[in-house]
Amino acid sequence: MKTPQHFGLIYFTLAIAQIIIGNCFHLSAYVTLSILPVMVLCIPLNVGTIAAMLIAFATGLAADASCEGLAGLNALALVPVAFIRKPLIRLVFGEELIERKQQFSIRKFGWTKTSAAILAVQSIFLIIYIIADGAGARPFWFNASRFGASLAAGWLLSLAVAAVIVPDDKK
Amino acid sequence: MARKKGIRFIYDAAIFILLEIAALAMLRNSGAMHDLWISKGLHSVTAKVWGSLDDIRYYFSLKAENDKLAQENFILAQELRHCREMFGRDSSGLRAFSDTAGNYRYMPAAIARMTDNGQHNYIIIDKGSEDGVDEKSGIITSCGAVGIIDAVGRHYSYALSFKNSGVSISARIGKEGSVGPMRWDGHSDRGAILSEIPHHITLTPGDTVYTSGYSTIFPPDIPLGTIGDARIVNGATYEIEVSLLEDFNSLRYVTIVSHIYSDELKRLEEGK
Repeated sequence: MKTPQHFGLIYFTLAIAQIIIGNCFHLSAYVTLSILPVMVLCIPLNVGTIAAMLIAFATGLAADASCEGLAGLNALALVPVAFIRKPLIRLVFGEELIERKQQFSIRKFGWTKTSAAILAVQSIFLIIYIIADGAGARPFWFNASRFGASLAAGWLLSLAVAAVIVPDDKK
Repeated sequence: MARKKGIRFIYDAAIFILLEIAALAMLRNSGAMHDLWISKGLHSVTAKVWGSLDDIRYYFSLKAENDKLAQENFILAQELRHCREMFGRDSSGLRAFSDTAGNYRYMPAAIARMTDNGQHNYIIIDKGSEDGVDEKSGIITSCGAVGIIDAVGRHYSYALSFKNSGVSISARIGKEGSVGPMRWDGHSDRGAILSEIPHHITLTPGDTVYTSGYSTIFPPDIPLGTIGDARIVNGATYEIEVSLLEDFNSLRYVTIVSHIYSDELKRLEEGK
């Protein structure tokens, strides 16, 4: 298991990466690329829910402030991810991981389980993000298309981020 | 352990709500469109919360509301009786509200206890001698005669329900038709039997049966029920099934009615 200091450094680097993605990679109006949900999902399990929510809130605000976005939008969508982080990990990876306060990894739990967890957090984040961003002014089909495209793109990117942030143990 | 988890969850949820409110507040200040959207959402949530609170408050005030409505209903019924009296017999002008109309005195009451599942059912009402209730007064509603007061205490009165095999009411078919005694059929919720109706009378199922006013207990023309099937008894009179208008199961408020000259009438009858 990585030390918290090590994780903090990776987390900070990834936050900067997200700021760069937000500022430089405008693929389409239908695609919102975000690695923030998977970053929050990978916060070590010895960090409590309240602390995780505060980290998510601060990260969201930093992303909002640096990406010419609406203030509070990323924070609004990211805090629920932190709130359901532990129950989701318990559901997907089992109680044992929570009790041992270990990190999940793709090697240990496989692509399917990791993808399921990533898709769940991405979905929660994107649903809130897209609805709040549209402010009730965009049609349903636009929001649905944006959700689908962003989920697919975000899932691939998040798998890569998960591999970086919680690398497989090499013994 | 479970309690500790529960408390921790409450803390987590509280912080979650606070952070979401903070994020929403920031988002609201980001632009006019978001301000409008969040304000709309807030108004809708507030309306729902207030609506639910109002529903709860309304539910708990129903009893007081019912009491008030029963009182208002009684006053309106009294005014109606006065008007009928004025246009029917007495045209000396409108009188101020009183508890008397014609030869009858009326008093609102609530049912304190009632039996409904035996052959000798009774009713206890929340008015007694201190309120001016007399024995042999009737108990009515706008849908029928409910019972007859049999004993009077200081604060409560005991009445024989119409659904008592010993109670009989003088009833008339229509407002001008034949008169006969009507009693409960002894088994159904809303069934009664009107008997001693001459067999030469033409009956139309669905006709309304009213109180005749021949006794001093009930005033005339209170609707009691509608007639159904009839059969000839002893080759001389009809026995008619009557479907009562009053639903005894939902009875809560009633009116006590007493003849103001009943003593005089009684003395005359005894002297004869």
